[in-house]
Amino acid sequence: MRSEFDGLMRSPMGRRALLKYLGYASLLGGTGVLAACRQDVTQTGTDQGASPTARPGIEEEPGVLRVFTWAGYELKPVWKPYRQAGYPEPKFSFYTNTEQALAKTAGGQDWDIAHPETSYIQDYVNIGAIQPWDTSLIENFDQLNPMLQRAGQLDGQQYEIVTDWGYSAPIIRTDHLDPSIKSYSHLFDPAASGHISWFDTPWILMMAGLTLGMSGDEVFDMTPEQLEEAKNFAIDRKKHLYNIWVDFTQMWDDVRKGVVWAAYSWPDTFAVLHAEGVPVAYIRPEEGTLSWAEGLVLHAETENYYHAHEYANSWASAEVGQWLIENYAYGHANLNVDLSNVDPDVVKVFGLDDPEYNLSEPVSYIDRWLPNRAAYNRAWDEVKAA
Amino acid sequence: MTTTARVELSAPPVAPRARRRRGLLGLLAAPTGFLALFFLVPVLMVAAYSVGLLTLLPHDLYLSLQPWRDFFASETHVGLFWKSVRLSVVVSAVSVLLAYPIAYALALVAGRRKYTLLLVILAPFLTSYLLRVLAWRVILGDEGLIITLLRDVGVLGPEGQISWLFYSPFAVYVVLAYVWVPFVALPIFVTLDGMDRDLLEASHDLGATRWTTFLRVTLPLSVPGVVAAFVFVFIPTIGEYVTPLLVGGPNGFFFGNAIQGAILQGFDWQFGAAMAMFLVGTVTVLLVLFGRYLNVRAVAE
Repeated sequence: MRSEFDGLMRSPMGRRALLKYLGYASLLGGTGVLAACRQDVTQTGTDQGASPTARPGIEEEPGVLRVFTWAGYELKPVWKPYRQAGYPEPKFSFYTNTEQALAKTAGGQDWDIAHPETSYIQDYVNIGAIQPWDTSLIENFDQLNPMLQRAGQLDGQQYEIVTDWGYSAPIIRTDHLDPSIKSYSHLFDPAASGHISWFDTPWILMMAGLTLGMSGDEVFDMTPEQLEEAKNFAIDRKKHLYNIWVDFTQMWDDVRKGVVWAAYSWPDTFAVLHAEGVPVAYIRPEEGTLSWAEGLVLHAETENYYHAHEYANSWASAEVGQWLIENYAYGHANLNVDLSNVDPDVVKVFGLDDPEYNLSEPVSYIDRWLPNRAAYNRAWDEVKAA
Repeated sequence: MTTTARVELSAPPVAPRARRRRGLLGLLAAPTGFLALFFLVPVLMVAAYSVGLLTLLPHDLYLSLQPWRDFFASETHVGLFWKSVRLSVVVSAVSVLLAYPIAYALALVAGRRKYTLLLVILAPFLTSYLLRVLAWRVILGDEGLIITLLRDVGVLGPEGQISWLFYSPFAVYVVLAYVWVPFVALPIFVTLDGMDRDLLEASHDLGATRWTTFLRVTLPLSVPGVVAAFVFVFIPTIGEYVTPLLVGGPNGFFFGNAIQGAILQGFDWQFGAAMAMFLVGTVTVLLVLFGRYLNVRAVAE
């Protein structure tokens, strides 16, 4: 039996037949999938969701929201008011970065609500994946920082309810570096050679640009010459690096042990290490602190339109904001958050008591859509490959 | 019985052959369909995407070779490809060198315990790949085993470090070789285990020393296994990106990382697709060459 089988396997006819059928199967499957993808893009790109007149009431909606978000945002305190109002528990799925979320969305993944940074709203609109919110349905919307909400608008429409924000800036060890120097230059300082840690992101090029004297406005849309200059500067300073981190807990550990003296970081790094008594300072660069803001976007084809608004209302509440600040040290857009339980140093360093001033230009530059993101990425590749 | 009847009787029966053929096709349908749907179709989609035959994003170029032109024009990315080739060649060669004595001992020395020992060697595969990689942080890291030991014996000062030990290309090479050695030992073991022992005895009888026997009999006969082992490591490591990301540090950036970055960081999917297809094409060509000229099939048989 075995020899017969082997004989067939080895016969030229058998191989030919196998390849032929494999080819047919691939062609058939490939054509089907390609056609489906093409159709999906077309549909997604043109359909902007059900018209308000055709929209069913909240009681007629499926009710179980599909929330596509970051790990950690599925915890019950984050949607506590929504739960207390009696709505069913959402189904959460996760992504590790916004590009991945966009890729999956473009590929057809369904969700009702996602949680991207403001700089990606344009991309979501470009693929026809999201629709504007009706802010009149969000009771807590009036309590939200209007400046942050403007970052969630496109063409005057509120595509994102901006909920949380933070900075991307250097954390330094004060026993090795001078905290009075308020600059991104800490991340490029030869005096800290061998003890600098960058994050794996093209934002390093923007920080290099700011260090070189470019303005906050310019670094989000650098000319090819400026990008070249920032890239060359980063390549030149790369020799002073300890590493390029991808796991923030490892970076925390490196700063904690004193192996790293200056690191690209977010506010939670300072909150954690400061609470542990590690001698660190979070630098708010005078060039203008690069900051990020993110929030909730509504899928263009959601069947849970009203539930989604209730969920956004929950996220926008001061109660959720307080939990977020106390537990993640992120800022929250609600201006009525009670800061009495937050470490005063954290409040002071991040300016949580006056977010409107601290997030306004030129003190800070909120992340923007990069019209030339691919060029930034290729330049960043060159830095890493150098 | 007439001549015609004799001819009919001696000719192979058509019906059983057709049945066997149908049976074979039936057996192959599921794996072939699976491979076609989850391997060939995705590859075709990536290929189509790289030339704009399939588009997903508004800024994607429709029917364009520009992503390929960009790739070939980029010294950085072509350079990264060769850097990855270098990494794969070195890791594959080192893995084979390390695995050969293990396979030799298992096949020719261990006797009845060889399969038990083989299981022991394969035991690390029961642990997560990431954990095995991250475990090297404990050995090579700044406060790791090696540095601590060197400090204790006075080779390094109390704050002494070895900059190339961790977060370096060296760390990538070491960790990858470690990860692949057990896997590499398998095909070599299979070849050596299946070798005709009478040949070794004949060599001894003819006066050859053990070393000569190894060089002139064992080693040549095990070449197919060695080549297969080399290929088994070379193919997966050429696109490797996780290990460089975790232990490579500032200079641990390879071709696989560039593909990952283009897709997940830069929103530069067509460029990423072109790089990925270039890698797939190269590996395919290498596979064909290995298969044709180095008799890898002999190992499988």
